[in-house]
Amino acid sequence: MGLRSFIHSLTAPPFRHQTVSDQDVKMVLVVNNELKMGKGKIAAQVGHAAVSLTLKCGKEAPGLLESWLRSGQKKICVKGDNAEHLLKLEKLASAKGLLSAKIHDAGHTQIPSGSLTVLALGPDTKSLLSNITDDLKLL
Amino acid sequence: MVLIARKDLKLSAGKLAVQCSHAATSCALAASKSEKRILERWKNDGARKICLQIEDLSSLQRLAGQAQSANLITHLVKDAGHTEIPSGTITVLGIGPGPRRSIDALVQDLKPY
Repeated sequence: MGLRSFIHSLTAPPFRHQTVSDQDVKMVLVVNNELKMGKGKIAAQVGHAAVSLTLKCGKEAPGLLESWLRSGQKKICVKGDNAEHLLKLEKLASAKGLLSAKIHDAGHTQIPSGSLTVLALGPDTKSLLSNITDDLKLL
Repeated sequence: MVLIARKDLKLSAGKLAVQCSHAATSCALAASKSEKRILERWKNDGARKICLQIEDLSSLQRLAGQAQSANLITHLVKDAGHTEIPSGTITVLGIGPGPRRSIDALVQDLKPY
C-alpha cells in the first residue's frame, strides 16, 4: 500500500455496499443424485461448485458476496434427480438473474468423465431462491 | 487443496458436503488475498480437491498446527450448529491451495473419505 492510499484508508468514510438484509442470503448446492457418488466425492464436488461460484460472485456481484460472507456464508445442499433436472433448474435460475455454476467431473475416480455432478445457485436472497429450490429434498 | 473431515462426528452426506465447501471457499478467498499466483495455478489445473478423513478433534488440531507452521493456507470450519451437531463444533480443516509436495507430506497417512 502506498502512502497516499494508506492515508486515504484512514480518513475515508466506510464503503457502503448495496446490501440486502444480511440474514436471508444463502447459496444452494444441487447434487446430481443419479450418479451415486461416495460421500467424500460429493463433498469435493460441492466444494468445487461453491468455490467457483464464490469467485464468480466476487467479480459480478461483490455486494451480495459481502453480505453472504458476513452472515456466515450459509450453504444448503439438496438433491436433484438427474442431469436434465439440474439443467432445467439452471435455466429457471438464469431467467431470474441468479448466478449459477455447473461442475462437470474430470472423471479420475468413481464416475465417467464429463458427468454433470453439481449445480450451485446464488448466493442470493431466500425469496428469489425459494421458488426454484423449495421442492427439493435435503441431501 | 485437501479437505480433512472428522470421522467421529458421523455427518450425513449433505452436511459433510456443506462443511467441506465452507472450508474450500474460505481457503480460496484467503488465497485470493495473499497467494494470488498459487490460486491462479490451482484454478487452471482443475482446482483439485481431495476429501480425507481423520480420527478426532485432537489429531485435526495437531495437523492444523503443522500446516500453519509449514506456511500453508489453512482454515478450520466451526459449525454454527443449526442442524445435527452442537454449535461451535470443529468439523473440517481445509489446507491449501499450495505446493503438492508440502501438502502431501502432511496428509499422506490419511484415507479418502
